[in-house]
Amino acid sequence: MNLKELYQEIILEHGKNPRNLRKTENFNKDAKGNNPLCGDNVHVYLKLNGQKIVEDISFEGSGCAISMASASIMTDLIKGKNEHEAKEIVEDFLGMIKENPELKSENLKEDEKTKLMCLSGVKQYPMRVKCATLSWHTLVSAFDNKREEIKTEN
Amino acid sequence: MNIDHIKKEFPIFDEKIQNNDLVYLDSANSSQKPKIVVDRINEFYTKQFSNVGRSVHYLAVAATNLYENTRTSMQRYINAKDKNEIVFTKGATEALNLVANTLGQNYLKEGDEVLITELEHHSNYVPWHFLRKSKNIKINFAEINEVGEVTLEEIEKKITPKTKIISITHLSNVTGAILPVKEITDMAHSKGIIVVVDGCQGAPHLKLDMQDLDCDFYAISCHKMYGPTGLGVLYGKKKWLEELPPYQGGGGMINEVKKDRITYGDLPNKYEAGTMATAQVIAFDQSIKFLESIGIENIMKHEAELIEYGQELLQKNNSVKLLGNPKNKGGVLSFILEGVHPHDIATILDEDGVAIRAGHHCCQILHDKLDIPASARASVGVYNTKEDLDQLNDSINNCKKIFNLK
Repeated sequence: MNLKELYQEIILEHGKNPRNLRKTENFNKDAKGNNPLCGDNVHVYLKLNGQKIVEDISFEGSGCAISMASASIMTDLIKGKNEHEAKEIVEDFLGMIKENPELKSENLKEDEKTKLMCLSGVKQYPMRVKCATLSWHTLVSAFDNKREEIKTEN
Repeated sequence: MNIDHIKKEFPIFDEKIQNNDLVYLDSANSSQKPKIVVDRINEFYTKQFSNVGRSVHYLAVAATNLYENTRTSMQRYINAKDKNEIVFTKGATEALNLVANTLGQNYLKEGDEVLITELEHHSNYVPWHFLRKSKNIKINFAEINEVGEVTLEEIEKKITPKTKIISITHLSNVTGAILPVKEITDMAHSKGIIVVVDGCQGAPHLKLDMQDLDCDFYAISCHKMYGPTGLGVLYGKKKWLEELPPYQGGGGMINEVKKDRITYGDLPNKYEAGTMATAQVIAFDQSIKFLESIGIENIMKHEAELIEYGQELLQKNNSVKLLGNPKNKGGVLSFILEGVHPHDIATILDEDGVAIRAGHHCCQILHDKLDIPASARASVGVYNTKEDLDQLNDSINNCKKIFNLK
């Protein structure tokens, strides 16, 4: 266990000043996520253009440093990607948080991978994995226009 | 039994938790278990096991007697008038569901009102909400004041001619406020209103006397009283338990079963359908004896000292904001740390072996009112010491360091 690995400077910084914490004007897809055990909640907004490229992505919500930083970094990375690429990045991230030692996605640049790997410290804290993954599951739900709220218990 | 040496009665404190001594500050959630309770479960399963109340063989009779002994001990512990006013349930949650369900069946009509408070745990709100859905009753909320307590005057103010039931916590699991249950009951009874008390936090920390308190129902959680999980107690006045219908149907609760009619058993069997948590009930007798051997007055004095000490310590710690400051306060210290989410606090404290609770503590109504999504809560039990609270404060300071707070 290593708190320094969990609470890296970049996590604390994103947690304190989350990027894209707002509501996209003219969003055309959105979804809500909720962690009923701890009360974390997130609402992801997407604006896709005709080619299904993410023109804008934003989120609203509240949660711990891990969940806010994770949503913040996610929105930064997903902007400009198309739906297919974005979903592939989500798969890669969830795989890394669960078991994979590193990220494999070809849709992420090296510096983007480095940024995302800052969340890998969560692996050692099973109770906190849900904090890191809530916004990512919610993103997929927004793409798929699922109306039911994402719950981390599912 | 001397309270200063009580920690050694609890085997868990001999364990290292991630290489640390355990600083257990989560007793409002569930308490640790003394060795005599753990041993009793083992002994019962090893040497005495049988189901109760059904067979006539030696072990069955002996087990039935042991089971009933706990009922008698509980009657004594809470000074109930009659042994049959003690009903075993699977927890305080089931006890409150039993009360709401059976009162709902027999007593409440469309438009009737149930008055609860903003302090209530979800288990004293959701069961009434079921009746809001099924019977179209109304639920009103008595509000907290600025120090996080609900006063007699506030309760009285919220009563209408349609109020049939007042269901309140004895001791808030978030602000620690102790409600004036006796005064509320006196006032309610003068208006013909039934009083139900969620005693989950009251029973382990306060002196209980049902005949003095005079409430109609009192729900107790045994695992918060140094007893086994899967067990609760419902105290109900005999006249109500006799009058109300059964809650669950099954073996053990019947008198006679025919193809065209069924009659139900007498108290307390009427409310104890199916095989009960036999080993837990029998081991819980040891929890009651453990509490009695220390003396509830000594426990209350010890915990009051701890809370006063902890409150002073945290008040001096800038960035820490305590939730509520009731005049009459029980064993919880809920707080927030400006700039650090409660889950981050709990993870960082855990690294030092300090176990606290983070979240809304099943009190979302209260957290909405306080306009915070979650809080951190340290709660004390009989085994805690001032050193535990010093460690809590040191670990909070470590949180501040990690999050670069002053």
